[in-house]
Amino acid sequence: MKTRKSHIFIFIIALFFPASFFAQTADEIIANHLAAHGDLKKWKQIESMKITGKFTAFSEQKDFFCIKTKSGAYYSELFLGKNAVIEAFNGKTGWTIDPWQDILYARRLNSAEENVFQQKALFFTPFFDYKEKGAKVEYTGKQNIDGEDVFALKLTKANGKIETWYLNTSTYLEFKCESEWVDFATPVPAQTFFDDFRTVNGLVIPFFIERTFWQRDRILQIENIEFNIKLDEKLLVMPRKEQMNKLEFMQGDWNVDLEVFTRRGTWYKTGATNSDINYVSTNLLQENINYENYFAYSKRVDYTYNDADNKYRISVFDDLSSTFEIFEGNFTDSCFTADNCDISYTAGKAENKSCTQLSICNIEKGSFILEIKSSNDGGKNWNPREKYTYTRKIK
Amino acid sequence: MKKKIITSCILSFLLLMQTFIASSQQSEPIPWNQFKGFYRNGVASGNTLAEKIPENGPKMLWKKKTGSAFSEITIMGNQIYTMLSEKTDSVSGLEFAVAFDAKTGNEIWKTLIDSIFIDVDGWGDGPRSTPAIGQDFVYSFSGRGKLTATSKTDGKIAWQVDFVKEFGSTIPRWGFANSPLLIGDLVVMEAGGSENRAFIAFDAKTGKVVWAKGKGNSTYNSPSVANIDGETQIIFANGIYLYSFNAQGDTLWTLKTPIGNPTALPLVFDSNKVFISAIRNTGFIVAEFNKNGAKELINGTAMKNDYSTSVYYDGYIYGFNVAALTCISATTGEKKWTKRGFGKGSLILVDDKLLVLSDQGKIIQVKATPDAYTEQGSFQAIEGKSWTAPSFSDGKVYVRNLTEMACFDLN
Repeated sequence: MKTRKSHIFIFIIALFFPASFFAQTADEIIANHLAAHGDLKKWKQIESMKITGKFTAFSEQKDFFCIKTKSGAYYSELFLGKNAVIEAFNGKTGWTIDPWQDILYARRLNSAEENVFQQKALFFTPFFDYKEKGAKVEYTGKQNIDGEDVFALKLTKANGKIETWYLNTSTYLEFKCESEWVDFATPVPAQTFFDDFRTVNGLVIPFFIERTFWQRDRILQIENIEFNIKLDEKLLVMPRKEQMNKLEFMQGDWNVDLEVFTRRGTWYKTGATNSDINYVSTNLLQENINYENYFAYSKRVDYTYNDADNKYRISVFDDLSSTFEIFEGNFTDSCFTADNCDISYTAGKAENKSCTQLSICNIEKGSFILEIKSSNDGGKNWNPREKYTYTRKIK
Repeated sequence: MKKKIITSCILSFLLLMQTFIASSQQSEPIPWNQFKGFYRNGVASGNTLAEKIPENGPKMLWKKKTGSAFSEITIMGNQIYTMLSEKTDSVSGLEFAVAFDAKTGNEIWKTLIDSIFIDVDGWGDGPRSTPAIGQDFVYSFSGRGKLTATSKTDGKIAWQVDFVKEFGSTIPRWGFANSPLLIGDLVVMEAGGSENRAFIAFDAKTGKVVWAKGKGNSTYNSPSVANIDGETQIIFANGIYLYSFNAQGDTLWTLKTPIGNPTALPLVFDSNKVFISAIRNTGFIVAEFNKNGAKELINGTAMKNDYSTSVYYDGYIYGFNVAALTCISATTGEKKWTKRGFGKGSLILVDDKLLVLSDQGKIIQVKATPDAYTEQGSFQAIEGKSWTAPSFSDGKVYVRNLTEMACFDLN
């Protein structure tokens, strides 16, 4: 009876105080965990880390390096099997070049990948200043994983993602982490294992990190760590497609002279206007131009490069007629030429006998000429229609 | 005539099995004559191993460069057999079946089998399949789907069947990978052919089709064999099904499983149980079977085999759970221990010990016990990516990868 009463008493106490009990324990565990990682003052002085070593993917061990900063930036060059991969993250957004995805140029990270890069950018443990970062921690008890006694900590990050960290009960160092990773840009659960802890400048760091997700196995074996290496910010800027760089001569603010081709076979100047052309993303050069040719027009012209058919693709939006026109083409000799003869808006090949050509020639440092031509025979013969002479504005 | 051939097949298989079982009882080593050894279970029966690998490593008998292939090494008497490839330029080359002297590693013969299979993903070019050593011939299967019988002594081609041309088989993305199974006078293959020719048994002497059964694509799996009440069961894992046929090609049972497209071959143990595992989805199941049917006993997620087949010993299954060497109970599926650090390795069982080959070419001897991971020494056998499991015979372990092969004396 006495035992029963004491059980009830303990139960009531537990009902009222479990949160504070566990919070206290979680804080203690985290304090020990941070202490186990070395001198906290030294950690706070670290602005960046450059890690070099070997990265194993698909059982192929290759050279690896990454640079991570206190602000959460991350840049890495590595190999996944036969393919060289580049990863860059500025702490919020980033890009990658990963040929495994059949995309040979830089592409932006999706939100699942951004979560992964936040994990990659961590110096060592997410529990360092976790409250300031908006994360919450819950201690969920002791466990035995693969023969290792561990404390299990549930970490809810500011972005809502949940990770479970397992810390060795003797050393307080991380043994395992369960978190969300990505495979081919798709979220998958991952398990990460930490081993071979070494002390570098008084800081304790795992030199062996193995991560398995889906059927993948990735191993990072650190060979060297340098601290407070400056990260060249240019590395984080998403590179344009190589082909889009060829259009760089168009970027800027322009004075534009407009001419139309008369029935007498001569050019007749109809007016002048302004145009601004800028890269709005790495695969999009955009022009906004307003002009009068009898009526007042406002057009937006998008230049992109389409890898699927190795051609530039241009879309022209005309607000007067509310129409889009699409052109495809490439550089030939010293001109850039695109037309819509083969463009079809329905299934099957276009039979567009009447079509239009955009031709950019006379490309010089401060000027170029865009000519618009028409064809009534599917592009065999072209007739001049309009001419736009661009001259760079002097600032 | 057909009945006579079939009866002859059964008798010769039983005779062969009895011979080897008798040999096993006398502790005579059983030849590692086909993929995963004589019983297709990764066990080098009749062999013993020292309790520890010497600290300075075992005696290396030979090591040599070799052409790219994932084929295991098979062993019979003084000769060993495998496959390799040679590139003539970046997109073409040739595949060969090759015999070497077991003691020296010197080449005895090399026979051109097919043009090379080029791996688009860069995992490795050339053959994937392991040759099987029969009475007179060695049976090899190229990455592009040609099954070839070559004379054991001089490598002369006796017969060849092109699966793509003959059966309408489709080359899988990573090449044909299944390894011939020898049952008496039959060579049994997963063919993945059209018109109910997924599984085919060939006359070992002539290459003629004895029977062809079933629907299914070419996968990366290979058939296993069991023997219940004197009847041979050939077990295929294809798609989400296990199929069992007797040596005459009669369907004995079919079992739908939650395991999709396993690469590790079905592991038969306790004579009437089969373990299959794949790296995705459920993980593994153990099924019990008899002459007429099969039923799932347990399933679990503690073991997810990729391309490496697990081994069974004394109530427990040892294998790679993705990239962690793991021991689970074959009865309950409960995980007993895990050891990381070997990548996606492979393993075989010798005596009461595991010989584990890490995916970086290191051999680790581990006691096959559920109590705890107990290492008994290790040595770096070969260098670089090593996805081909070791082979063992007469106290010697044979290893290879895409660039080199070697033999070590573990006695």
